[in-house]
Amino acid sequence: MGNEVRTVFSKICEFVLTALLVSFFTFAAFSIIPGDTARVMLGPDASEAQVQQLRTELGLDRPLAERYGTWLRDAFRGDLGNSLSFGTPVSELISSRLAVTLGMSFIALIIVILVSFPMAAFCSRNPGNITDKTLSTAGHILFAIPPFALSMMLILIFSKVFHIFTAGRYTAPGDNFGAYVVSLLLPSLCIALPKIAMTFKFLRASMIEYSHSDFVRTAKSHGLTDLRIMLRHIIPNSAVSSITVISLVLSDILGGSLIVEQVFNLPGLGRLLLAAISRRDFPLLSGIVLYLAIITVILYFLADIFAAVIDPRIRDRRAA
Amino acid sequence: MRSSANSKRYLYIGSALLAIVAVFFIIGLIWTPYGINSTDSASKFIAPCAEHLFGTDNLGRDVFSRCLAAARYTLLVSFAGVAVALVIGTITGLLAGYYGGIIDKVIMVLSNSIMCFPGILLALVAVAIFGPSLYNVIWALGLVFAPTFARVYRSSTIELLGRDYILSAKVMKVNPVRIMFVHILPNLMPQILPAVIIGLANMTLFESGMSYLGLGVQPPAASYGKMLADAQSYMVTAPWLIFFPTLMLVCYILGLYFVSEWVRTSVNGGSK
Repeated sequence: MGNEVRTVFSKICEFVLTALLVSFFTFAAFSIIPGDTARVMLGPDASEAQVQQLRTELGLDRPLAERYGTWLRDAFRGDLGNSLSFGTPVSELISSRLAVTLGMSFIALIIVILVSFPMAAFCSRNPGNITDKTLSTAGHILFAIPPFALSMMLILIFSKVFHIFTAGRYTAPGDNFGAYVVSLLLPSLCIALPKIAMTFKFLRASMIEYSHSDFVRTAKSHGLTDLRIMLRHIIPNSAVSSITVISLVLSDILGGSLIVEQVFNLPGLGRLLLAAISRRDFPLLSGIVLYLAIITVILYFLADIFAAVIDPRIRDRRAA
Repeated sequence: MRSSANSKRYLYIGSALLAIVAVFFIIGLIWTPYGINSTDSASKFIAPCAEHLFGTDNLGRDVFSRCLAAARYTLLVSFAGVAVALVIGTITGLLAGYYGGIIDKVIMVLSNSIMCFPGILLALVAVAIFGPSLYNVIWALGLVFAPTFARVYRSSTIELLGRDYILSAKVMKVNPVRIMFVHILPNLMPQILPAVIIGLANMTLFESGMSYLGLGVQPPAASYGKMLADAQSYMVTAPWLIFFPTLMLVCYILGLYFVSEWVRTSVNGGSK
């Protein structure tokens, strides 16, 4: 019990430290812009008075440490400032786009888990046979196609060959939840496919390793069926070791959704990010970056805690 | 025996794919059948034929010529980016692994926090702040990939620290810098080489994504990502516009994966 508390406590400290560093990096990145930030944002045509006004508005005339303190305090309260190009609070803009990005990432994660586990279990039973080789090669190929190119090909196939999908059609979850999920299915699949390849490869190796372990041999000698050994002994063990991989995959999924949204013309964070970049809207940009990074930090933290809680080996190793 | 035949097959197919890209790269440096940006309103949307092997796009530009010319940026960004990442990753990883303690803690916390940003996001932000240009793309991607290499170096350095030859070097008061770079570094090759090859492939995925968003290699230079972005509106009527650039990217990335698979298995086989 004492070990658990200590592990969780040190994890929490690590989490807070990482979150602070991430926020500092985000802040610092937008403070080291070469030249005068206000001038860069307004462009060469702005008058000196306008530049001076924006500088005061952004607090650029105050010392760096003070600005970071204020920025962090406001961010903690959910106030990320006002977007320069939209004129509305950054946090409102971000939350209005979350349904697309988070929904897509969530569906993609479910697809990854639902496909890669059975596939890996199936292949690890007879490593090296023809099915295993075919699936492994298919995994390599899927991994090698850039997600946006894959999206275009799938759009082409599903909308022009099968006529069952219209790119760019999006229904808000409040209007019709079923239609919302359906409209996100294909983009989620495009993000998920390369990640399936990655998770599959890891799981397959780990399941093959476990199937040679002592406890599986013992289970076999007790006369348990192969199916039961797979479901009760191999899969739970591989699932624990796959938590880290899946949390890495999640961060990739979030990043991947930024690009895939663009191909499917979906109103998500990726579109907002690109708008912020092209309009040089730095408050909005830093808000989005902070938001996505903090989500990732929280996910890593939860994955760590989760792994330590369900697997005593990890817990004890860390505490020892 | 069987697994080594299998991994040889990975090597052959992988090298063949990379050879295709290399041929495109070399020819593209010397000669292209048409100018890469020469437009011709009389020959828009020509399907692949003898005169235009890969067809032409909406402005009448020859896709084959553009594919030849774009290979150089894909290769340049992936190699230069990995070089940047390797330099940073080698130094920080060796320091963290060799000294341990507080230096290790600081470096690991820093690299962990960098890894908390989805990679593509960090690269996009760097380019947004410093402007899209070839060099900014290279160092931004290099920075994003550096923590991965640092981790590989760190963990393999720690494994080597207990070896006798390192201990005797320490006893003989060899300069720590010399131990790190002369005694440890060359022995890390088996771990580093697969990481470098995979790094090249991932770098290419990122670079093409950034070019697709218009934040990578800038026109008039041709890049596969930008070609795909331009082709998106016409993909129904002219699917060859998305097919050939994708094929080039897949050739390069898949070739690298296959070769890295061979390196990985032959290194493991050698140590058994």
